[in-house]
Amino acid sequence: MNLLCVGISHHTAPLEVRERLWFSDEEIRLTLPLLRPLGASESVLFSTCNRTELYVLTEDAALKSENLKNLLITQKSAAEKVQSSDLFSLSGGEAARHLFRVAAGIDSMILGDVQILMQIKTGFNLATEQGTSGFFMNRLFQLAFRSGKRARSESNIGEGAVSISYAAVELAEKIYDDLKNHTALVIGAGETAELTATHLRGKNIGKLLITNRTQERAQHLAEKVQGSVVPYDQWCDAIAEADIVLSSVEVEQYILQPKDIESLHRKNRYAPLVIIDLGVPRNIDPKVKELENIFLYDLDTLQSMVELNMQLRKSEIPKVDSIIAEVLGELTHWYSSLEINPTIAALTQFMESIRQEELAKNINRFEPKDRELVELVTKRIINKIIHAPIVNLRSGHESSIGERLHKMSSIQKLFGLGKQAKDESDE
Amino acid sequence: MFRHPPVTTIFEIFSVLALAVTLTYFVIELRSHRKETGYFILNIAFLFQLVSTIFIKNTPEVPEILRSMFFGAHVSTALTGYAAITIAGAYGLMYLMLYHEMKATRFGIIYKKLPTLESLERMTFTALKLAFLLLGTAIVFGIIWLSHVYADAHYSDPKLIGTVLVWLMYGFLIIARKGFGIKGRQIMILSIAGFLVSIFSMTIINIFFSGFHKFY
Repeated sequence: MNLLCVGISHHTAPLEVRERLWFSDEEIRLTLPLLRPLGASESVLFSTCNRTELYVLTEDAALKSENLKNLLITQKSAAEKVQSSDLFSLSGGEAARHLFRVAAGIDSMILGDVQILMQIKTGFNLATEQGTSGFFMNRLFQLAFRSGKRARSESNIGEGAVSISYAAVELAEKIYDDLKNHTALVIGAGETAELTATHLRGKNIGKLLITNRTQERAQHLAEKVQGSVVPYDQWCDAIAEADIVLSSVEVEQYILQPKDIESLHRKNRYAPLVIIDLGVPRNIDPKVKELENIFLYDLDTLQSMVELNMQLRKSEIPKVDSIIAEVLGELTHWYSSLEINPTIAALTQFMESIRQEELAKNINRFEPKDRELVELVTKRIINKIIHAPIVNLRSGHESSIGERLHKMSSIQKLFGLGKQAKDESDE
Repeated sequence: MFRHPPVTTIFEIFSVLALAVTLTYFVIELRSHRKETGYFILNIAFLFQLVSTIFIKNTPEVPEILRSMFFGAHVSTALTGYAAITIAGAYGLMYLMLYHEMKATRFGIIYKKLPTLESLERMTFTALKLAFLLLGTAIVFGIIWLSHVYADAHYSDPKLIGTVLVWLMYGFLIIARKGFGIKGRQIMILSIAGFLVSIFSMTIINIFFSGFHKFY
């Protein structure tokens, strides 16, 4: 029985190769059933913009990583662009460790990425829906989710913004309590403006005003982020209404000077105003920063903030690795407890201990001449009781791994063997 | 044995101040739902209680005049009012520290540990309103109690005048924010100034002036 993992990520291939192996939910649904005929007992496949990974549990020694790589490439008809060497392969404990690292966000392009856990969950749910995730994968992925959650709650791996657009939103969030009570004005409709506007919408900003030289682009962005359009020749007036101003346009001269802000700010009763200047060259006169209750941040500031947060996240990796080692320990303990022989030995010992205990309590009630017979009879009863379960466990070779593991787990749960084993190990 | 309000010695007052700071903070946290500043504020309460616990002594003789419940209510509300002033000052200071850190684009420990500027402003304002309400109540209780114990009561006592002035100043702060829309840094500077004026005026009055407020 072996766990195999093959996949592609930013560590192994450039974007133009990775994108060829991106699987939609529907494609995952179609691919999973193809793995069983290859010899996979259980399988889970998930795909994100930066990685596609396939986890397979197999008993078939003939099923190699290479077969799985070829299947992924063939399914996407990507043989021209994607080579087998663009994909990585892992097996056994290393595959499990890799999954836990991915779930914890320390294998991501953006260190500590929070999205990945949701994407793994989606892949796992698809496998459950297709019936390709069984007893083993259920446990493996539950532990992966646990390592992801623990990494985020017990370390600072997900703390602080690590992208320019998110850093801009984070700064606004340090000034205002709840963005739903505030208004943001986005000047420009380029990529950065769009990303930041999307983050602001994600944070439930109360009102999102969009303005752009090309009205259609402003309209398009406004529809995407549920905002409203302000005509480009009127955006100056909209500042009086705004608590956050985000500017990302290509201009040769500053579009906002201290004197403009001062008069508009007066209308707003000098309430704090956050101005994010994402333009290159800068859109806002840096002297604006000197005004009371005005917080002006440019690209350099945001970039240094992102770098600082990235360093902090990097320093958290050893902590996350130790969490992963603990979770991996849990998996190993669980897996080794499900081997056939130790399970049978534990069951036999459990029955024998009950027999010994009862004999010790009651043997004096029998005549000395009968005691040997009592010993014999009780032994026979115990052997007969455990005979059927033992035969069933040993004869499980024709059933799937998942089914066998399930049987062993059930026996351990019913007789409390796992608990007994755990107590013994604790002692 | 304890048939008097616990405000008859300076160390009893310290104990009441510890309670007053804690209660005021409790109200602020209930209203703001922000817990980040608890560590700073409750340390003030801890220090008051620590000094009180170390130095407090039994007071076998308590003047009859200090046994009145009106007196207890007057001093308790006044002390809680001053505790609220202290907390407002502390929040004002926190606000200014965070404000300058954010203006200077330094994202250190203050940036990480303190709540948002908006929260700090709201918490300061809650403390200011509490201070205004409690000092007003203390003045009313004081005047009622004064007319009970002194037949020839006069209202030119320096501490009474000082407290009324501080109370009026906080009233002005509340009106300034609500009426004139003074926001952000300015209101915080006024809050810290209010705290300093209150503390200095009380200290100066205690040292240089005498009136019926001299009991201990």
